[in-house]
Amino acid sequence: MRVDPGERVMLLGPSGAGKSTLLHALVGALGTTLSGDLTGTVEVGGVLGFVPQAPGDAVVAERIGRDVAFGPENRALARPEIWARVDRALADVGLTYGREHPTSALSGGELQRLALAGALAVEPDVLLLDEPTSMLDPDHAASVREAVRRTVAARGATLLVVEHRMGPWLDLVDRVLVLGRDGALLADVSPDVLVSDHGEAMGRLGLWMPGLPAPTPLEVDPRLVAPASRATSVVAQDLVVDLTSRSMRGVARTRALDGVHARLDPGRLAAVTGPSGAGKSTLLAALGGLLVPTSGTVSPSRHRLRSRELAAQVGWASQVPEHGFVAATVREEVALTAGRTGRTVDVDALLDVVSLGALASTHPFRLSGGEQRRVSMLTAVAHRPEVVLLDEPTVGQDRDTWAAVVGLALAAAGEGAVVAAATHDADVVDLAAERVEVAP
Amino acid sequence: MRRVLARTNPLALMWIGVAALLGSFAVRDLPSAVAAATGWALAGLLVLPSWRYPVACLALCGVSAGLVAYSAWRLGNPDHAPVAALRILVLAWPGAVVVAFVDLSDLGDELAQRLHLPDRPVAAFVASLQRVSGFGVTLQQVLRARRVRGAGPHGPASAVRHAGSVTFAMLAAALRDAGRTSIAMDARGFATATRRTWAQGVPWTVRDTAVVVVATLLALVPVVARVLT
Repeated sequence: MRVDPGERVMLLGPSGAGKSTLLHALVGALGTTLSGDLTGTVEVGGVLGFVPQAPGDAVVAERIGRDVAFGPENRALARPEIWARVDRALADVGLTYGREHPTSALSGGELQRLALAGALAVEPDVLLLDEPTSMLDPDHAASVREAVRRTVAARGATLLVVEHRMGPWLDLVDRVLVLGRDGALLADVSPDVLVSDHGEAMGRLGLWMPGLPAPTPLEVDPRLVAPASRATSVVAQDLVVDLTSRSMRGVARTRALDGVHARLDPGRLAAVTGPSGAGKSTLLAALGGLLVPTSGTVSPSRHRLRSRELAAQVGWASQVPEHGFVAATVREEVALTAGRTGRTVDVDALLDVVSLGALASTHPFRLSGGEQRRVSMLTAVAHRPEVVLLDEPTVGQDRDTWAAVVGLALAAAGEGAVVAAATHDADVVDLAAERVEVAP
Repeated sequence: MRRVLARTNPLALMWIGVAALLGSFAVRDLPSAVAAATGWALAGLLVLPSWRYPVACLALCGVSAGLVAYSAWRLGNPDHAPVAALRILVLAWPGAVVVAFVDLSDLGDELAQRLHLPDRPVAAFVASLQRVSGFGVTLQQVLRARRVRGAGPHGPASAVRHAGSVTFAMLAAALRDAGRTSIAMDARGFATATRRTWAQGVPWTVRDTAVVVVATLLALVPVVARVLT
């Protein structure tokens, strides 16, 4: 594969095809930082800018100004030029907190924008983006794409972007590479040809082709996810949550939720929506008793429950799946909570639903981002809790795995569970019976 | 007054720790030990903005101090035990407390620009320390996930297992974090940066000089005490 200077390329493929691995090869990480068997060579010229898939990975400083300045410092720029680039990059991605804002107080979507600001500030010749808008609301995603467009146009930079929801990016690229499930290159075409000639084939491969309707959620055997106990509504009133970052230099308080009212009813899928940084993840955590509200009430209150009591009632899929992994194989991971709560679980059937049967004996850390998110989804529903809380469950999913993930959520709701998903995915929002909007 | 340390230059803060260490060598008898410990405690009372962290440091240093005192007592030198204990507190406590006030980016600026240490190791050092400070968020997420998955502690024995499991998870997270952060750093020009600049300068104020002078005087307290007694 060869990408010439100034080309703008989109890299597509189903979940687990190796898209992120290819980007890691281009940044020179394979065989050095990332171990494994490697054959062949990669040559890349010019200044690189890279936005990794996991939003927090790129953070190198405590304050956002110094974090974005890291790249320009490495290029040995003069101080006024460094800060001019920092301010421009932060404005481009819509981070308006100011240079001194702590990076620890940013949400997942905001970290994604910070990583992009760090990449833009080096004014790269080659810009590599790994799902740069997957956790952003439509407005912020549009502003990020516009920032990328400006940067690429201004410098004639080469662009290589991985994104499952390709539609909004297609007019920004002039070439599309498609990887198959085995990692082989399936197609190398222009965006127009991809849409006109390969639409159906790519749809069958699981790609989110523009114009195709959202997939029908998978019919999941309800016995796999039917709540073991009767669910009751979860109600939040005047909910206030302050996130505190404490150090001897001072206490940084960020108001994550301010007077939120929310109601989640059994038997319905609720979509928790709002701009990135609005507090959607915090609201899910508060509703599930995972954190103590600063003020206001959540009913029923679960934050004092012991671990196994809470687990029997609540399932939670974290925005960062790796933080929730406890076991050494995917199979053990899915079975763990059911074992702790004394419930039965059909692990094989659940793994088959999300197309992970072949990876049952794999360590969860060795999975791709999309595969990890599916395992996390299973850990939230496998023990059949009455409340299922899902944080960005469809990020990184192709059409097939999306249908499985959404099918699981709908099946749990259909069996009477309280199910809520914090999401920017418009297709999930359309399917949801309720919408809880969190204002910033 | 209680904001002084939060605004003090990192090198001046580190001098406090060094001064305490050097001063502890002069703690040889009970009067000098009591004088030195009292001096640092009074300084702490005047400038520390809160007591939770300093008391935690005192407790941890107290473990070492207690063990040293016990050793002195067991070795047949009970009169020296309190002196040995106070010497350990004087040696360790001030530095342990002030390190929490160090701004990592400012420290990197100072090490590279004032002390002229090599740029790349300093930048890597600061980035790695920053990741350590981010472990608080990771730990919160790890604990939260384990609790909601029924893998939280449910008795004394399970609390020990849980602590071990969480420690291993944090170790794994740290190792994976380090790899991914190094990829992100290299991709922002760090891999090829033979020389780099720094976004901020290294101001030195009268306050910083005053902190250095006071720390030096506190280090001399046990010397003066011994001379006077």
